[in-house]
Amino acid sequence: MENYLNLEKLSNDLKNLFQNQNQNESYFDFEIICEQNQISFKAHKSILSSRSQYFKSLFKSKMKEYQENKMILKDVSSSILFPILNYFYSGKIEINLENAIQILIFSSKYLIDELIQISSNFIKNNLQIETIVDVLKLSEAMNFN
Amino acid sequence: MSRKMILRVPKFQEPKRMEKSEAQRLWLLLKDAIVEVQHMNASTLSFEELYRSSYSLVIAKRGDILYTGLEEVNNHHTKNLLDKIAQAVDERFLIELNSQWQQYKLQQIMIHDILMYLDRMYVKEPQLKVFDLGMFKWKQNVLIHSQINDRLVRMLLGLIHMERNGEVIDGALMKSLIQMYVDVSLKEKETYKQEFEERFLLATSHFYKSESNLFITNNSCGAYLKKVEIRLIEEEARIKQYLDESTGPKLIKACEDELIANHMQTMIEMETGCRTMIQNDRFNELKLMYRLFQRVENGLVHLKNEFAGYVRNEGHKIVNQPENLKDPNALITSLIEIRNRFEKTLSQSFANNRDFINSVNTAFESFLNENDKLSESLALFIDKKLRGGFKDSNDQEIDVIMNKVILLFRFLSDKDVFKKFYEHYLAKRLLSGRSFSEDLERTMISKFKQECGNQFTSKMEGMFTDMRLSKDALDGFKNYLQTSVEMGKLPKIDMSVRVLTQGFWPTFPPHSCTLPPLLSQYCDLFTKYYCHAHTGRRIIWQTNIGTAEVTFRLPKKTHVLALSTYQMLIMLLFNDAEKLSLKQMAAGTSISFMDIQRSVKPLYSGKYKVLKRTPAVEKSKELSENDIFELNLNLKCKLHRIKFAATSQTDSEPERQHTRQRVDEDRKIEIDAAIVRIMKSRKALIHNDLIVECTKQLSSRFVPQTSMIKKRIENLIEREYLERFPDDRRRYRYLA
Repeated sequence: MENYLNLEKLSNDLKNLFQNQNQNESYFDFEIICEQNQISFKAHKSILSSRSQYFKSLFKSKMKEYQENKMILKDVSSSILFPILNYFYSGKIEINLENAIQILIFSSKYLIDELIQISSNFIKNNLQIETIVDVLKLSEAMNFN
Repeated sequence: MSRKMILRVPKFQEPKRMEKSEAQRLWLLLKDAIVEVQHMNASTLSFEELYRSSYSLVIAKRGDILYTGLEEVNNHHTKNLLDKIAQAVDERFLIELNSQWQQYKLQQIMIHDILMYLDRMYVKEPQLKVFDLGMFKWKQNVLIHSQINDRLVRMLLGLIHMERNGEVIDGALMKSLIQMYVDVSLKEKETYKQEFEERFLLATSHFYKSESNLFITNNSCGAYLKKVEIRLIEEEARIKQYLDESTGPKLIKACEDELIANHMQTMIEMETGCRTMIQNDRFNELKLMYRLFQRVENGLVHLKNEFAGYVRNEGHKIVNQPENLKDPNALITSLIEIRNRFEKTLSQSFANNRDFINSVNTAFESFLNENDKLSESLALFIDKKLRGGFKDSNDQEIDVIMNKVILLFRFLSDKDVFKKFYEHYLAKRLLSGRSFSEDLERTMISKFKQECGNQFTSKMEGMFTDMRLSKDALDGFKNYLQTSVEMGKLPKIDMSVRVLTQGFWPTFPPHSCTLPPLLSQYCDLFTKYYCHAHTGRRIIWQTNIGTAEVTFRLPKKTHVLALSTYQMLIMLLFNDAEKLSLKQMAAGTSISFMDIQRSVKPLYSGKYKVLKRTPAVEKSKELSENDIFELNLNLKCKLHRIKFAATSQTDSEPERQHTRQRVDEDRKIEIDAAIVRIMKSRKALIHNDLIVECTKQLSSRFVPQTSMIKKRIENLIEREYLERFPDDRRRYRYLA
């Protein structure tokens, strides 16, 4: 039997690691800038590449982003990027009526399978007559499965 | 009043169709990047930008531009590479090919990473995945190109050939190049199998065919076996070092076929081969041979047959050797020796393989039953051991010998014959007081009991009981004599009697003789005493197997002679006569002439002669009725007590015949019982089935002859146990 692990604490510690954005003790080595509102987040290459196939490939390629230790994201708002980065660290994300569709768009673009699953389930459960047409159109356009 | 919460759908413009020019721009951006990657200049490109471009094209449903464009770029690139590689000469060729291939593979991984969204969301069967597309282009334009493929395979096989001849080659290079065939195979390693593996296996068979033919003609079988083992180890290592693991079983099979299967017959028959190894107990070589033969189909069958054949042959020689036929002890000792030897071969060389053990046992069964000598020889062997042959052995050694005896016994098909002989010699040992140890006797019997059950040993155990009861009876008799009135009138003699229960003991041929009056009186007294104590019993005196001690008074000296009862009777006659002919001896004692002959012989022809023949004749001459004997008053002997053999040690032919006859008599009863048992349960049966069933039932005791069973059936029909069906003469019915 494995020893008892306090996964809750692990999740919390990692969340704090990410959220203390201005602390030197976090040893950040990478920066992600949202072009839309020029807000940036600091992060760790090791965490990102271990949690996302996209980032793993990005670092492995040794291209510009790897050389400069930063990347610029177009078309993404910091209000979406923050919970997603937070998810990479803590494994937790709050999905609500406000952000569900944006999170689905992001995770489907960057192939984050677990988030695609969670957010699209949330959307399915909250479909209403007023929104169903728009959601379907969007779904078609964004290549959701 | 609450506001209704609804899903927030972003402000959303109807996606305008992407302009063709925009699509083209994005593709060109990607194309330039791919070309940069192919020239190892990727570090200034933005991964995210490229990823986003590929994503946008797919979202705009223009993935086709990207996919077909990629195909073209790969096509172009691989064609360029072909020219570069093909120009390399000699060893440079492999190195150039390998380095280009290693780079190409890395590039394809990077391209796949950039186009990950395309790969996941656009590519659908039967289109190739992005990475596979790259592999396919390499295969199509480089690897299987006529300028490359044949040259590469020939060089690879050439290197392997060199390595097999002892040269050192670059294993890592080999691994990389051979793995390339696997990597470019789309499914089930088909390119590897078609282009490389097939030719490699062929070259392997060819190499080992010629090597093995040459080696085996110039070397001993042992050296060849070692060579084969080394070769197989080398090939195993080769698989691990640079071949695809799926080739392993095929390669090993090809080697085994050429190195082992094709030469099995030779390895068995050649002068230094299997036969010689078995003959000379070359356990290690045989062990190696076993290990190698085990690897090929039917390999062990060959080896096993050869070994079993040798065992049968050796056994056959032993059981037919003239010296052994004369000397049961030597015969059984030799048999135990070869049994030990073959058991050693089995355990040291053949891993105690069940099949091997069984076939050795079958061989033993066949030669041990080649002639009917063995049952008696085995009984005699034990007889000698139990008469004192075990004196110098410790418990463990004795146990080992006894177990070997049981082992040989197990192979006998006519166990009943052995049993008769064993009982016969046991009786003799007990009656003559020659048994060395009752404990050992009982141990031996308990081993037979374990092997064959109670029935087999009940008579033997009965003999021991008789011996014990006789002792009690004799003690009782002595007390009786002291209190008896008649005793006062008789001179005292020391008489010992053994009461043998009929049935437990072998039947001794009935002989009669006239006892001297004094002895007769004692016998009558014993009979009276015994029958009084055990009412309903009848005593028959078996004087021919008794012994006696007689005081022999010479003018100057007195000896005690230990004699058989008959010899005693003969000697007593000389109390009243100086000279006697054999005819007179027979008349005086009522002993048959033949017994007279046998009894007299040790008295005048042994080391100490108490009788002499007058006139003196050659010893060897046959005795006749009219030969005359007198006491040898000049006997010179330092011993006070002189012991004479009753008859010769081993049984005479008539006695043996007698034992045989009794076995046959017993068999008749056993067969009758078996037939009746079978018919009682089956009611009706066809002749052949009855024979088969009967043989089966009796096989643990002996192998009945069919003719004998037939006779017994006839006999049982006469006695109205069975009858033939009137309409079918081959069927019998049981008559209740």
